[in-house]
Amino acid sequence: MEEYLNKSIKEIINQFPEIGNILNEYNVGCVPCSVGSCLFKDIVEIHNLPSEEEQELMSRIAKVIYPDRVVKTPEIKRESGGRPKEISYSPPMRKLVDEHVLIKKLIAIIPEVIDNLDVESEPGRQVIINSIDFIRSYADKYHHAKEEEILFKHFGEDLDIIKAMHEDHEKARSHVRAMLEALDKKDRKAISEHLNAYQELLTEHIKKEDEILYPWMDRDFSTTQVGELFTKFNARDEEFGDVPERSEQFINKLEEKFKLARL
Amino acid sequence: MTRFEECPGSRTVDFRNEETQEETTEKVKSQLRQWPIQMHLISPAAPYYQGADVLLTADCVAYAMGGFHSDYLKGKSIAIACPKLDEGQDVYIEKIESWLEDAKINTLTVLIMQVPCCAGLLNLARQAAQSSKRTVPIKSIVVGIQGEILSEEWVAA
Repeated sequence: MEEYLNKSIKEIINQFPEIGNILNEYNVGCVPCSVGSCLFKDIVEIHNLPSEEEQELMSRIAKVIYPDRVVKTPEIKRESGGRPKEISYSPPMRKLVDEHVLIKKLIAIIPEVIDNLDVESEPGRQVIINSIDFIRSYADKYHHAKEEEILFKHFGEDLDIIKAMHEDHEKARSHVRAMLEALDKKDRKAISEHLNAYQELLTEHIKKEDEILYPWMDRDFSTTQVGELFTKFNARDEEFGDVPERSEQFINKLEEKFKLARL
Repeated sequence: MTRFEECPGSRTVDFRNEETQEETTEKVKSQLRQWPIQMHLISPAAPYYQGADVLLTADCVAYAMGGFHSDYLKGKSIAIACPKLDEGQDVYIEKIESWLEDAKINTLTVLIMQVPCCAGLLNLARQAAQSSKRTVPIKSIVVGIQGEILSEEWVAA
């Protein structure tokens, strides 16, 4: 079993597809990840399951790999204890989690934006342009830039989980570019497809960050590092002026518009 | 452990009969890197507070915790106070504000005992943070009377 701990999860799932289903049952969403280069031992550590669940997961996986014999399931070493009942974030990580709230609000409205897509009229096109502007200025430049230019650099760009996060960001950017091209061509179908894909991608991405990545990072930070990160985030925020306020106003208006449309 | 029903902050508790871990025979090096340390005596403008991770500790904490120096004091600047017995605590709020705004400290960790009166020290830190123009991460650590860590959490920024 030990030898598999140092293999990439993709390699293991390719060899034993059933393991992908088992991981899904424990909300370890490695199957759809297009990178998949995280080591099995890192994935178990990062997800920080309660010890009983972790043991159960490991023994089920061991049975798939070694169906004919009983193997001792290895214990994954970690610095902190088991998972706390509630996720508690340090102030800089709390800030990132709070920023997700506005992005999740847009994600929640996307089905209604799609249902009411109007690529012909000026007001209809403006809704799409403003939504794209929100994604670019708030979700990407304001929020993702903080992650990419400050947070991820702290852990190193070579870490597999960081590469996976970068890849999600790049995919999101490519959907936005495709939406703009489709808008130029008044291609309603393509805009819908890319909005849907963006919604799906960001829903999973935010869940991964809030529930897995940020708590794992927080467990690694020293008190000094938390303070330094907080200061760097604040300095970055100052460069963006009133972007958060304007973004919140836009989302509130969008919610109001579709709430009225539902009446 | 023998307990007598009184105010939790001052009741008599006798745990002489409880087992203690073997003490180390090596001399433990002090991690204190400044003087003075009492909240009335310190100056927030002292160089060792500039940009520092500051520990604001209730007086009793260092006696209760076996590993106080290596586990909590190391690398930090400190001030100590008793929120139950000290007078003139308005000055404490002003000094904490000055840490935040003038000394531009990096973080503030408030180490208190589990007894209810000790929560006053955390309240002082919160009050200072609320009235300050600059915020920093504040961590609260609550220590049991036998030195165990009861809770450790970021409470504000």
